[in-house]
Amino acid sequence: MFRRILIANRGEIALRVLRACRTLGVEAVVAYSEADRDSLPAQLADEAICIGPPDARRSYLSVPSVISAALITGCDAIHPGYGFLSEDETFAEVVRAHDLTFIGPPPEVLDRFASKEGTRRLLGGFGLPTIPGSPMITDDQHALDEADRIGYPVLIKPSAGGGGKGMRMVRTSRELESAIKICRSEAKSAFGDDSLYLEKWLDDNRHVEVQVAVDRYGAGVHLGERDCSVQRRHQKILEESPTPALSAEARASLAETAIRAVVAAGYENIGTLEFLVDGAGNAFFIEINCRIQVEHPVTEMLTGIDLVALQIRIAAGEPLGLRQSDVVLRGHAIEFRINAEDPAHDFRPGAGVIEQYHAPGGPGIRMDSHLYPGYEVPPYYDSLLGKLIVWGPDRETAIARSRSALEELLVDGVTTNVEIHRALLENETFLEGRMTTNLLDRVGSAAFLAAAAAGAR
Amino acid sequence: MPDADRQRERTTTGARGSEASRKADHAGIGRLTDELLPALIAKLGTTQLGELEVREGEWQVRLRRPFGTTAGEGRRASDKPSRSQPGHEGHGHGRAAPEGTRGSKAGAGAAARGGGSTNGTGARDELERSRSIATSPAVGIFTPGSRAASGTRIRAGDSLGSVNVLGVPQDVLSPVDGIVGSTLVEAGTAVEYGQELIRIELALPAADPADAR
Repeated sequence: MFRRILIANRGEIALRVLRACRTLGVEAVVAYSEADRDSLPAQLADEAICIGPPDARRSYLSVPSVISAALITGCDAIHPGYGFLSEDETFAEVVRAHDLTFIGPPPEVLDRFASKEGTRRLLGGFGLPTIPGSPMITDDQHALDEADRIGYPVLIKPSAGGGGKGMRMVRTSRELESAIKICRSEAKSAFGDDSLYLEKWLDDNRHVEVQVAVDRYGAGVHLGERDCSVQRRHQKILEESPTPALSAEARASLAETAIRAVVAAGYENIGTLEFLVDGAGNAFFIEINCRIQVEHPVTEMLTGIDLVALQIRIAAGEPLGLRQSDVVLRGHAIEFRINAEDPAHDFRPGAGVIEQYHAPGGPGIRMDSHLYPGYEVPPYYDSLLGKLIVWGPDRETAIARSRSALEELLVDGVTTNVEIHRALLENETFLEGRMTTNLLDRVGSAAFLAAAAAGAR
Repeated sequence: MPDADRQRERTTTGARGSEASRKADHAGIGRLTDELLPALIAKLGTTQLGELEVREGEWQVRLRRPFGTTAGEGRRASDKPSRSQPGHEGHGHGRAAPEGTRGSKAGAGAAARGGGSTNGTGARDELERSRSIATSPAVGIFTPGSRAASGTRIRAGDSLGSVNVLGVPQDVLSPVDGIVGSTLVEAGTAVEYGQELIRIELALPAADPADAR
């Protein structure tokens, strides 16, 4: 096991990794930017080290700064969290070149799964049904030809990153031509990489993902699936498990197909396979995420397994220590992403001082957040303030507990998106478990909120 | 922001021979202190400016922040976060008045930089005001350069040494013209971004007796 881990991230995930380190008896050093000096993870760490100014390119995204920080603080491993450097295979290689361990898949595994198109072909070869898509787009004409081959509507997607940036769905060649330029510039500014590809778009699709864990010795288990269909402009805002979209048999079959394929393809460490599910219940593989994900607590609530600790143990070369029969999925869990966003103003991200903060409690309630009264939310990073995760023996109980917990949650000082979660819990489509990824975008979030308010009266 | 953090300067121009003009001067001073200065101080507090100058008639007023605290500089860079409970010191703790109360690698440096509010003797304030500090441009190993010797006269932008980041040296630059004072960190020490490294005594114009202390 590692002796000392550098956490190269911020916010709630830095805190989550710190807690896993404590549990494992490993010292934790938090690398922070000047904007995060007073942050909870920096204060709770065994040691905290300032790696640069608020601009992420010169701090959390600066490979030399992060590695230098790990070396001078005597760490033997780096946990990248999610986002920032978490899926950068070059970073993983540089980490290894300095005799440090990257907590995630080893560089050659990251490299094998780096191309989304290549990964689709690789895993398709091992029996996963995949979504039709294009290779990397070389120019506009290439994009038009590929779109014709796949058939409209298609989704333009950036090769790098996530979070919905640089993503557009188009229904005609004309839309494609204009959207591709926007996507290119968005991807360039968000990820420093403007390579794009196309994917077949399924109307009224569900987003379902399978969590896997594979050790260095080829032993692997799946930890069930999560439904992430509630999205706003391709950005997940609520996740739950089990998915209401599939029967118990279909869920088990999907997860088993997924774990077989990734083990055969030589994957290592924890990972998530994302699928689109159509109205008939057919699942199509779209991509794999080689990192811990924001929504991992949903799975932790169902399995009782600490995924971050598991991730660290696998990276340290320990055997998985789990058979599939050890993974028991109990009850139902829902995660609500609490963001500093104003639903009344097109989800404009906000910043400011948290004047009051109260986390809800009670049976099955978990709050993962770096907030505290007096904390100043900096304007430089993503708007996630925390995650409320609610477990119940069944979906109805989980929803009832969620309503109560969202009532109890108090975040004063910045505007949050809590209102949209409350509205979701009154929405008939959601309550019946029929939500698709366009639930919010189809009517627009403002209209969605208004409808919920009218319904509640 | 405590007013003590700011340096006030007053210069006069023009001849002041007669009784009448002295009276006018006194009235002017009164108005400046009562009305203009508080407004200007408030104004400076809301901006990222290091210096603010206003001219009115024969008077000119210049407000200047203590050197090194302009525009969001990492004043508490060496001030390591403690393991005390969050929010314990109330929000924005320590930001306005850095006090050397937290556990700190360069604790002496942090304590010595403490604002006038804690060690409020006038002489001490004057001393603090006439100093600036060169900070680390990166996270790595510090090596002082040939111009980092105490007593060396330097210009703003001069390199005083380097911080080695994975084999790539990054210059430690002087933020001001002045004379090198003490080096706060030994050669070969690991430093973080923004950490205070070298004190610089300001080279003051000898003609100004008020500031020559």
